[in-house]
Amino acid sequence: MNRYEMIYIIDTDLEEAARKELIEKVSALIENNGGEIEKVDETWGKRRLAYAIDYKTEGWYVLVTFKAPAELPRELERNLQINESVLRYLVVKLVEKRSAVKPRANKPAPMEAPADVEAAPAVEEAPAAEEAEAPAAEEAPAAEEAAPADAE
Amino acid sequence: MSEDRGERRPRPRGGRRPRRKVCTFCVDKIEFIDYKDINRLRRFTNERGKILPRRMSGNCAKHQRQLSEAIKRARAIALMPYTVD
Repeated sequence: MNRYEMIYIIDTDLEEAARKELIEKVSALIENNGGEIEKVDETWGKRRLAYAIDYKTEGWYVLVTFKAPAELPRELERNLQINESVLRYLVVKLVEKRSAVKPRANKPAPMEAPADVEAAPAVEEAPAAEEAEAPAAEEAPAAEEAAPADAE
Repeated sequence: MSEDRGERRPRPRGGRRPRRKVCTFCVDKIEFIDYKDINRLRRFTNERGKILPRRMSGNCAKHQRQLSEAIKRARAIALMPYTVD
């Protein structure tokens, strides 16, 4: 299960009832395919489009956040593509913290989970690494201070 | 060049270097640039809707990549224009 965020624009020519129905339909599609809706946000509502789509200058924005298996966005996009009343859609995978992707030693990990995974091997290497880095760290600031002084 | 240092002494000919700009996203400690935050994104496009280069915005490479991705997403769903004439 991944977390996704979907935004889609409904034609403003669609009446309120039909729009509600469409939103329901999309939500149902997510849930029927093993997804789990977290939030349907309609607070954006009617908004001016930055450029005309099919000669329309306004659209009704709907933002949905949901959890779903990886196959669902493709199915979802296929359905939105078919629907005439949907002007645009965008499904984006939400990545909470990218620290798991590239763990860096010099930055404190913002998330708990990846830090724990890292902890075990890091302990063994730590003493050697600290000794090696300590003299280097002392020299570095001195060198940096010297450089701007020359530049001024 | 938005900011200048107060104490700017005259340099030998041709030497005036502009102050190094800092990445505003790093300053604000923004981990993820949201494509929905168009007020923020708009500051990094010119009046024609083009994405400003790094040398103009002063962003770091990491944030510039995220920023360009965010702007392109915002364009795709008509939150931001591709072009302004």
